[in-house]
Amino acid sequence: MKGRFGPLTVVLVLCSWVVTRAGDDRVHDRLAVVRRLLEEVPLIDGHNDLPWNIRKYVRNQLQDFHFSEDLRQTEPWARSVWSHTDLFRLQQGMVGAQFWSAYAPCSSQYLDSVQLTLEQIDVIRRLIAQYPQHMQFVTTADEVVEAHRARKLASLIGVEGGHAIGTSLAVLRVLYRLGARYLTLTHTCSTPWADCSNVDAPGQIPDHGGLTDFGKAVVLEMNRLGMMVDLSHVSILTMLDVLQVTKAPVIFSHSAAHALCNSSRNVPDHVLRLVAQNRGIVMVAFYTYFVSCNDTATIRDVVAHINHIRDVAGADHVGIGAGYDGINLTPQGLEDVSGYPRLFAELLASKRWTEHDLKKLAGLNLLRVMKDVEQVQKFHELISIWNF
Amino acid sequence: MKGRFGPLTVVLVLCSWVVTRAGDDRVHDRLAVVRRLLEEVPLIDGHNDLPWNIRKYVRNQLQDFHFSEDLRQTEPWARSVWSHTDLFRLQQGMVGAQFWSAYAPCSSQYLDSVQLTLEQIDVIRRLIAQYPQHMQFVTTADEVVEAHRARKLASLIGVEGGHAIGTSLAVLRVLYRLGARYLTLTHTCSTPWADCSNVDAPGQIPDHGGLTDFGKAVVLEMNRLGMMVDLSHVSILTMLDVLQVTKAPVIFSHSAAHALCNSSRNVPDHVLRLVAQNRGIVMVAFYTYFVSCNDTATIRDVVAHINHIRDVAGADHVGIGAGYDGINLTPQGLEDVSGYPRLFAELLASKRWTEHDLKKLAGLNLLRVMKDVEQVRDNMRQSGVQPSEDLIPAHDLYGKTYCRFPET
Repeated sequence: MKGRFGPLTVVLVLCSWVVTRAGDDRVHDRLAVVRRLLEEVPLIDGHNDLPWNIRKYVRNQLQDFHFSEDLRQTEPWARSVWSHTDLFRLQQGMVGAQFWSAYAPCSSQYLDSVQLTLEQIDVIRRLIAQYPQHMQFVTTADEVVEAHRARKLASLIGVEGGHAIGTSLAVLRVLYRLGARYLTLTHTCSTPWADCSNVDAPGQIPDHGGLTDFGKAVVLEMNRLGMMVDLSHVSILTMLDVLQVTKAPVIFSHSAAHALCNSSRNVPDHVLRLVAQNRGIVMVAFYTYFVSCNDTATIRDVVAHINHIRDVAGADHVGIGAGYDGINLTPQGLEDVSGYPRLFAELLASKRWTEHDLKKLAGLNLLRVMKDVEQVQKFHELISIWNF
Repeated sequence: MKGRFGPLTVVLVLCSWVVTRAGDDRVHDRLAVVRRLLEEVPLIDGHNDLPWNIRKYVRNQLQDFHFSEDLRQTEPWARSVWSHTDLFRLQQGMVGAQFWSAYAPCSSQYLDSVQLTLEQIDVIRRLIAQYPQHMQFVTTADEVVEAHRARKLASLIGVEGGHAIGTSLAVLRVLYRLGARYLTLTHTCSTPWADCSNVDAPGQIPDHGGLTDFGKAVVLEMNRLGMMVDLSHVSILTMLDVLQVTKAPVIFSHSAAHALCNSSRNVPDHVLRLVAQNRGIVMVAFYTYFVSCNDTATIRDVVAHINHIRDVAGADHVGIGAGYDGINLTPQGLEDVSGYPRLFAELLASKRWTEHDLKKLAGLNLLRVMKDVEQVRDNMRQSGVQPSEDLIPAHDLYGKTYCRFPET
């Protein structure tokens, strides 16, 4: 009724408008803080499967891949729910460094997985070489920082799936020589030397109960080479075996917290505590089925995982590994690689995260892990020189 | 009868003794000249299959391979007619640089030839790293010279057999990144893109008649990378196709002259003339069945091949590629890697070869080829030539994809 719209209503409407505007201003302020942070420290994402999409969609013919265009307008990328990445959106997302995944499918194990992996490493190197104003190939922590300072996307290589080494330590060494700086010990299939997370599904039994002796030799050779061991996709017993035998910190390139969503791709709390002792890192994945255990998720769901890992393992042991271009369901607000700043703004708003904590999450933690792994390699080199 | 042994006999005996001693002195002098030469210019051998023997005999376990010991006294090397190489004998042979062969057998084609090749490259790199006082890994002509000055055996990698690339230019690029500086386009089997020399045997027919279009793409990508094309083991039509399409000089890492011994592993005269135009090199092999077409041979037989290639192609286009450790029959006087100086001494004795000619034969020719190949790479990079994305046509692999992940 007309009489009811009195001064109080006006004041209320005015107040909510002011509050909303202030809220928008605060979001705006937070994003400004986030942008400044991510200019100072590179945001390092642990896992992006674009190279496999390049193989799937354009048969690794980079002449047909226009990375610097808006792929949301380009076929067949525009029509694919698996496509989240182009240079423009990476820049909007303020991504400072990216581990590009050199992946061969499990169905190639015992067939041509080694060759496929070489071809994927080759397409990554060629892609980087084709966009030198935007991308720079790097293999060390110092080079990541250097590239970021030069305002280039520091681009690294991670090999996904132990079947890529064809059960040969010589092939492992070759992959390191070609620039790969992590190996995910399994994908969705066990190797003859390590169990994958499928064996943790209800009713399944392990193949090996973790790592075999040869699997331990693989880990020790990776320590000697200075290649990070990636435990995403492996079974819990494999995680435990690796954490016991490794001489260097380990990573999970794209996994989340099992306590919040009990996917076998996630890390249980007892393992999180061991990762902390190991001085390793869990880089949080964005796939909705790992985050909310459902086909939709929100930024708050991702925040919950980050906070949980921080609570159990510590703020020094958490990072970001979205898994873009390898997933088909993403959280609202994080639909593609341009969304990371919104996630950081959300964390900043929660008041639990100082700017320094956010720098650790963004990149300092992963840089520390890389440096520690490089240190282990140098130590091995010195020992071998003394022995000589 | 006693009376017959008179002053004349004494003089004759004395003379032949003097002549022989003088002869020995001249051999001694020639060897001294050869040693001086090979200290100034590295002797670069084009092909040694030791790495495959290391795989065969000790499963690439270098802890069980004592390269700095006399392998003539070590099992199982001592008992093998395929074993000719150890560090000591390489030093005696004054070898300055060696292309070590990263080889996978033809029976691995379409199976795990790529992986085997990686493992062989790895064992070569590890071997070199295990003997740093004696060996140095190199990939350029300048590095060869540098290592030789530092009195180390400059060690390079050649991949033997196009099946090592798994019909993939990406794998070719990877092999280059790993340090391989030549690819022998075939071994004793044709690839889906190049014929091997078996098709030149009587009664055989070519698979492709030389190089397919994809084969030409392989050669051009090698030119772009700066990897030498090695035509040992390929068919004559393949040689001709390559010499027509290549932008850079080519090599034969271990072949001899077809005119003197008509093995299909040898180079016919008309091809030798094209190699000269191409500014390439034929590195002469020592296997007796390529040299004398028989199960024995002499140093003189090898000399004949070197001279013939010089006559037809020119002194700028001949080198040495013995093929040790990949053969089981060697010429007398060249039974192992310690014998090269005797060969050079024989050439010097013939008076056809000046010291400068011998330096070309030993290493200057191959160094020139390497530099030219590096120049072609640089020119192509300057012109903005991009890595080739050519894929082998699917029908060329028909029936051969049983070990591949099925892609749609």
